[in-house]
Amino acid sequence: MKQPTTSRVGPSSARKRSSRGERVGFNSNPLLSVALPSWRSKLMLFLLFAGFVALAGRAFYLMGGVSTDFLQRQGEARYARTLEIPATRGRITDRNGVVLASSVPAKAVWAIPEDVEATPEQIGQLARLLAMNPAELKRRLTNDDRNFVYLRRQVDADVAERIASLKIAGVHSSPEFKRHYPEGPTSAHVIGFTNVEDRGQEGIELAHERQLAGRSGSRRVIKDRLGRIVEDDWLREPFDGHDLSLSIDNRVQYIAHSALKGAIDKYRAKAGAAVVIDVRSGELLALANLPTYDPNARGKLNGDAIRNRALTDTFEPGSTMKPFAIVAALEAGKVRPDTRVQTAPGKLTIGDRTIGDAHAHGLLTVEEVVAKSSNVGTAKIALELPAQTLWDTYTAAGFGQAPQLGFPGAVAGRLRPARSWRPIEQATISYGHGVSVSLIQLARAYTAFARDGDMVPLTLLKQDEPPGGVRVMSHATAMAMRRMLEMAVGPEGTAPGARIPGYRVAGKTGTAYKLKNGQYVREYLASFVGFAPVSDPRIVVAVMIDEPSGEHYGGVVAAPVFAQITAATLRTLQVAPDGPMEPTSAPLLALREAR
Amino acid sequence: MIRRGLVVLLALALFVSALALVTAQHRSRSLFIDLERAQQQARQLDVDHERMKIELARLAQPAYIETEARRLGMKPADGSRTVFLNLPAASSSAPVAPGAKK
Repeated sequence: MKQPTTSRVGPSSARKRSSRGERVGFNSNPLLSVALPSWRSKLMLFLLFAGFVALAGRAFYLMGGVSTDFLQRQGEARYARTLEIPATRGRITDRNGVVLASSVPAKAVWAIPEDVEATPEQIGQLARLLAMNPAELKRRLTNDDRNFVYLRRQVDADVAERIASLKIAGVHSSPEFKRHYPEGPTSAHVIGFTNVEDRGQEGIELAHERQLAGRSGSRRVIKDRLGRIVEDDWLREPFDGHDLSLSIDNRVQYIAHSALKGAIDKYRAKAGAAVVIDVRSGELLALANLPTYDPNARGKLNGDAIRNRALTDTFEPGSTMKPFAIVAALEAGKVRPDTRVQTAPGKLTIGDRTIGDAHAHGLLTVEEVVAKSSNVGTAKIALELPAQTLWDTYTAAGFGQAPQLGFPGAVAGRLRPARSWRPIEQATISYGHGVSVSLIQLARAYTAFARDGDMVPLTLLKQDEPPGGVRVMSHATAMAMRRMLEMAVGPEGTAPGARIPGYRVAGKTGTAYKLKNGQYVREYLASFVGFAPVSDPRIVVAVMIDEPSGEHYGGVVAAPVFAQITAATLRTLQVAPDGPMEPTSAPLLALREAR
Repeated sequence: MIRRGLVVLLALALFVSALALVTAQHRSRSLFIDLERAQQQARQLDVDHERMKIELARLAQPAYIETEARRLGMKPADGSRTVFLNLPAASSSAPVAPGAKK
């Protein structure tokens, strides 16, 4: 380094040094006197100039020329990132704002088996945090055929943090969402569930997928050397999913669920369903099904538990269909509530078939036919009518058509066209055999009696305004039927077990033989549909119990469930009582005396 | 002379402006970092809020309350054990407590 510096020192500095007399001067150097040709310095100058021009050209080429894209990309790759911003799925609440389903961030824990370096203790800790068998975990981590394995998905955020703090090489996590269902099995059938990708698979989650699912956004950010975001630019804003308010009231839902569960346990029944409808708005307050499942832990799901029986299963309703044949006759003016019908001897032969009553009744009024649930009486009345008139009444009441609920799997049931009815079929259809309905259709049809003769569409979503009804029968007919159905739960009727203290109730039992492989078998389906309070109906409750053992009559099996649900629901909704109350509590007595 | 002064002045202004730009950019970035941190915190609080709501719903579910109430020896109220008060008119009287005389 020293040599070139010295040689570049000019003559003037050399002279200075020599004047101080410290060294031998260079002025005596013979090289200084050599005359250089002037072109050499010019060439040098030109070369330097050309060098600068080349540099400038290159700079322009890189900054504004052809290959800028590539360089810009390379540069940005070192500080800019595009982040995917996930959208949160909307939450589902009941009508009072209680959360029924909600998503919170969680982590998917995954590993690259090749990279994993862990001590046995670490693997043990990891297995414990993931709630996995250590041997199974080890097997997955040493599976070298694959370069990516999920260890567990939807791990809670705090657990994921503890896994991260183990600092095992090759084990990573990425963000995702986990859906929580705080009500668990109680309302599982209404809400349904989502898969690990947070997409709806069943129930409301599936039916309203579009509304609930958000749209993820992406965001271009510039990060500094510490990884902090210093600038950003939205490429696409994320939209969170919309929240959904259901018409379900989770208190009523629980009432229906626990009453149903009690009856199913008591009668060791195969399955059951219960529906509670708000008469005024057509909103479903509860829709309970058993057997059920826990949407939070869907380890062993089977179709039997998932099925929303109230909507997707049809059954032959039995006597609960009778009121509609009577309605058709009342509307057609063929009978009046006090018209007498001979039901003795409790048998009726049509063609080569004979239908019969469980007990022979004798001469009954139309009111008593309904109250005592006489098959013969109903069939006789129905046979007075043209088939088409009956069919029209059934169709107007919503049988044979899928309810417009916007719920996956809602079925239409089976109501064959009137032209194809033979007389024996017309008779059996009138008391609910040879047609099939779903529980929700049955419950909806009864809203006509509870609503003075008109019907509103049912809904699972909370409504702000009462919907307009469609009239399906006259006010007088609805009132007459209301009285008959109240008699049915009276002491002379088929279902005294449906009565509740404090409220007047009305309803109809159903006990139907089940069809298996086209044959009626000695297995039953007990049902009860009714409403309360009779003076100003607020709710319609329908209960269906599939294959009860021991007892099988609707009045014994299903009516008490109706009573439990109705009593507790009316109390929960704070409906004023309209019936006699057995005075059992002291404060009530005191109050009565005081008045 | 004046022109020369002007050039010097403008050069100085340019220099100051350039420094100000650097400072402004730096400040904007550090403010952005703060904003980002605050937003992150807000998101985290939202998530916590959601988690709490779920927990609240879980603890307030009727099934849980019923089991706990039964453990304490309570029974569900029914119509026969409820006091119903019919107020003659909304304005004429205040609600009467159960058992109170009117």
